[in-house]
Amino acid sequence: MTTLVLVSHPHLADSTSQQFLKASLPANEDIIWEHIESQPTLDVAKEQDQLRHADRIILQFPLYWYAAPAGLKQWEDTVLTRTFVYGDHRYPLADKELGIVVTTGMPGKAFQRGGAEQITLDAALAPLAAVAERAKMTWLPIFAIHQFAYLEEPEKLQLVVDYQRYLTQEQPDSLGDRQAWFAQRLPEMIKQLPPEQQATGRLIEAEFSQQKDDIDALADTLSLIKEQEDD
Amino acid sequence: MTEHAQWLQLQIDKLAEQQGKFTDRAFWLALAELVREQERRSDQLCGEVDGRTWRPDRW
Repeated sequence: MTTLVLVSHPHLADSTSQQFLKASLPANEDIIWEHIESQPTLDVAKEQDQLRHADRIILQFPLYWYAAPAGLKQWEDTVLTRTFVYGDHRYPLADKELGIVVTTGMPGKAFQRGGAEQITLDAALAPLAAVAERAKMTWLPIFAIHQFAYLEEPEKLQLVVDYQRYLTQEQPDSLGDRQAWFAQRLPEMIKQLPPEQQATGRLIEAEFSQQKDDIDALADTLSLIKEQEDD
Repeated sequence: MTEHAQWLQLQIDKLAEQQGKFTDRAFWLALAELVREQERRSDQLCGEVDGRTWRPDRW
């Protein structure tokens, strides 16, 4: 899977959350990362090619006044031309996934009716969802990071992998898809371990894989029972 | 949590602790969390199989 990460931030170097996310990008994966505001001028043909080539497109930005920064809007207005998105009834972005990684200065509970912001992120970012709909893309559930500066180390460790999975894991985010994501990466992670830790790594992999098989077998048994109940 | 599950968690936690790179530690800790989720799902499925198999009306 090719994932295109388009970051919009007017002062990227000063953003600890964006620097953290950049350092968390999964290694050995097909990921194209681009900072929109660093482009001296937007090369429309190149941007459109990147979009055509990607399977999953991630728009990543801080929330400014319930919307993306101006740089992303400018990118949209320049790159997402009518002809490109749906002209001549060709839809080159159809069936690609569009994901949003948004950072906010307010806690998650603020983004609901009755909360401090009185608006959900789904409502605030509805214009982007409408673009996805128009382009016949699949909209992924928003990945929100609230108050990054207040996160403690365990939460930051969790964020690394949650973010990596949002970029590269099959959707929906089910137990089956999560297991498949880890199973695919375990051999490489074990190979990277120092020699004295590799046996433990392989043991963990074997146990993990056994548990996965046990769950599959139980699920099969259960569907057999349910079939008989239907008879 | 069974004794075996506790032992497995300990192995993963120890391996995670030994990783110098933040993103590597994150991977193993997230795997530990997923293994806990596997345990819970397995218990729930076992419970559901037992519950659905126990049908006094078919005795």
